[in-house]
Amino acid sequence: MNFFGFALGIATLLIIGLGFVWVIRGERYFGYLWWPYVMGLGILLIAASLFVNNLWSSALLGVIGASLAWGSTELKEQAVRAEIGWYPFHEKKILPPLAKSIKKWKAPHL
Amino acid sequence: MNFIGLVAAVATFFSIWFGHVAVRKVEFISPTIWMPTVIFAIAGITLEWFSLSTSNFLLSAAFGILGITLLWDALEFTRQQNRIKKGHSPANPQNPRHARLMREYPAVTNLDLLKRDPLGKPVSPSEAIKLIH
Repeated sequence: MNFFGFALGIATLLIIGLGFVWVIRGERYFGYLWWPYVMGLGILLIAASLFVNNLWSSALLGVIGASLAWGSTELKEQAVRAEIGWYPFHEKKILPPLAKSIKKWKAPHL
Repeated sequence: MNFIGLVAAVATFFSIWFGHVAVRKVEFISPTIWMPTVIFAIAGITLEWFSLSTSNFLLSAAFGILGITLLWDALEFTRQQNRIKKGHSPANPQNPRHARLMREYPAVTNLDLLKRDPLGKPVSPSEAIKLIH
């Protein structure tokens, strides 16, 4: 019996669960325009996992990176949910660098 | 190079993507909730069995992540139905189960209020509907 995958699956479930929290909170206080930075950080963590020799450290870096990349595609929809009133709306947001240019890009949604 | 992180990342991303789309599409057309719940639970348990049985760590990781995600998706069918009841996700009038929900819950709608770009300000329920047309 190899419990690695099962344990990693449970860890992944918890990391995805955290994703719900940071997408909701992050969008509320920082806004959805951070999505390219979040996606970039996710891809960077996945790339870094290639150079980590330890099994668990590399696997968890990959899962966290993928969860960040996915969450980045959820931010735009979360912004709309807050505007409709399904989640608390926070007017003053801490915008990312180059927010004006990012606004012209089509935010990904899968 | 250690590929376990990349395999775990690809498994995680595609598991979430698949679940995200499949739960919405299947719940939209399925006449019952229990049937997809049972099918996804059996698929999830089977994949966990594969994950426990293989000595290959890359396969064990991929099966382990996909299996647990499918088990979570099994529960998501009920959560998705609750979103329909609240009008947070569009209902399908052609689905007899949704047609019943439309009669029983006043908030149920066949509109997808999320299909637009953010404005940067709160909107009223009537504005929210206008914005998607």
